[in-house]
Amino acid sequence: MDDVESSTMTRLDKRWFASLALDFSLRQDRTTLVGKRHKGPLVVQKMLYPEGDEVCHGIIIHPPGGVAGGDQLLLQTSLEQGAHALLTTPGAGKWYKANGQAASQQLKFDLEPSASLEWLPQENILFDGSSVGFSAEIALQGNAVFCGWDILCFGRQARGETWTEGELQQGLSIRRDQRLIWNERMFLHPESRVLKSVAGLRGFPVSASLVVAAGAMPADVLEACRMVEADQGAQYGVTALPEIFSARYIGNSSEAAKQYFERLWQLLRPWYAGRAAVRPRIWNT
Amino acid sequence: MNKSKSLVRLLQLASPMLPVGAYSYSQGLEWGIESGEVHDLASAQAWIGDVLQVYQGSFELPVLSRFYRAWQRGDGEALNEWNAFYLAGRDNAEALAESRQMGYSLKRLLLEFDDLPDAWTVMMEALPTASFPALYAGISQAWDIEEQDALQAYAWSWLENQASAAMKAVPLGQVAGQKILLGVADRIPALVEEAMRMPDFMISNFCPALTIAGCRHETQYSRLFRS
Repeated sequence: MDDVESSTMTRLDKRWFASLALDFSLRQDRTTLVGKRHKGPLVVQKMLYPEGDEVCHGIIIHPPGGVAGGDQLLLQTSLEQGAHALLTTPGAGKWYKANGQAASQQLKFDLEPSASLEWLPQENILFDGSSVGFSAEIALQGNAVFCGWDILCFGRQARGETWTEGELQQGLSIRRDQRLIWNERMFLHPESRVLKSVAGLRGFPVSASLVVAAGAMPADVLEACRMVEADQGAQYGVTALPEIFSARYIGNSSEAAKQYFERLWQLLRPWYAGRAAVRPRIWNT
Repeated sequence: MNKSKSLVRLLQLASPMLPVGAYSYSQGLEWGIESGEVHDLASAQAWIGDVLQVYQGSFELPVLSRFYRAWQRGDGEALNEWNAFYLAGRDNAEALAESRQMGYSLKRLLLEFDDLPDAWTVMMEALPTASFPALYAGISQAWDIEEQDALQAYAWSWLENQASAAMKAVPLGQVAGQKILLGVADRIPALVEEAMRMPDFMISNFCPALTIAGCRHETQYSRLFRS
């Protein structure tokens, strides 16, 4: 295996640049990690196979535990034909006060035909004062499948903290054979009208989005997804576009958002992957 | 084209008589009414004003401005890219269907007009699926309507359609409808100016309760509108 760590940690002006690149390939019906390159503090644990050889589960770890202003994280993943990987994280992503410099997380996923990638991380918590840019660029070829979610929490709720200072920029683009099929854009700061607006986030601290790019969805699966309920007080909904399934949640609890998405995932996975949802054990801890 | 000719063309474009079917879409407002969020003049004005400011102002209008400039430069590539950006950003089934249907109807209408330059028609035909605002910008530019006026007319037509949907579905009377227009329209000029200056990275289609309203409207039991 190609496992290279650069000898010099990339620390520039007290800013960390951390990157991890993972390459998956299908070898004798087993999804195998065939390439791994990393710089700085972003690593992947030993690959796990809780549901047999075909699907490889990987846990992405950022050992510092939180991301300070100016830090940059880059996660790149490529999957060859037929490979199927599920990536998750062990705990919430914590984004600290910016101190004048924005932090960023960049995801770049490239999938060959008939490959599948599931990106199911824990929530991202924006500490008060954090400025963050999140970007995700997903390139699918042929009939490749992507399922991903993103749960965003404004302020540390346990402390009753709100997000009163900072800036947030987020972009998610999904392309199939170079054609843009999904485009989520967000730009806001604590004074943005959308945070309090009745048509926007309505003053809730949690906003979450789940998306599946696997072609048209059968009517019965959509119907089943519509029946799934989240916690009382939250607002949520699902929709099936010609090439995308999308679910949204806004509410008071990132835990409830995760539970809602996990219930949807149990209905969605048999459709897009032909297999039952197998809960990564790390989610229990 | 002289100024008064472009003005009558602008009025034609902004008129509810434009046969693109706008009146059949409430864009989530009907769900807002069903859920009880919108129930009288004040709540209708609050919802419509917010959608104007948050969604139209941060997404539709700045993208419309980019469409206009692409037409102005004869830049088919940029027009295609922004058209894909816009359509992929319509984040629920009914919203996307609406943009496509209205785009299709406007295209059919424009093909009936015989005073459009060939180069213009070629650019329109090169769009794989023309969204409504992409063609709206195009015909505005072809008719010598200023960019700022085209954006104002687009926002105005949207607002008028929302007020009309509120009158039918809340329901509200004629005077209430006029009050919505009076109360909300004043914000349009500033939003248009912001949209014309907005850098790409600030364009945002994040308006989650509106998106969820679109999702919920799909299964609303009794409905007058297609979105």
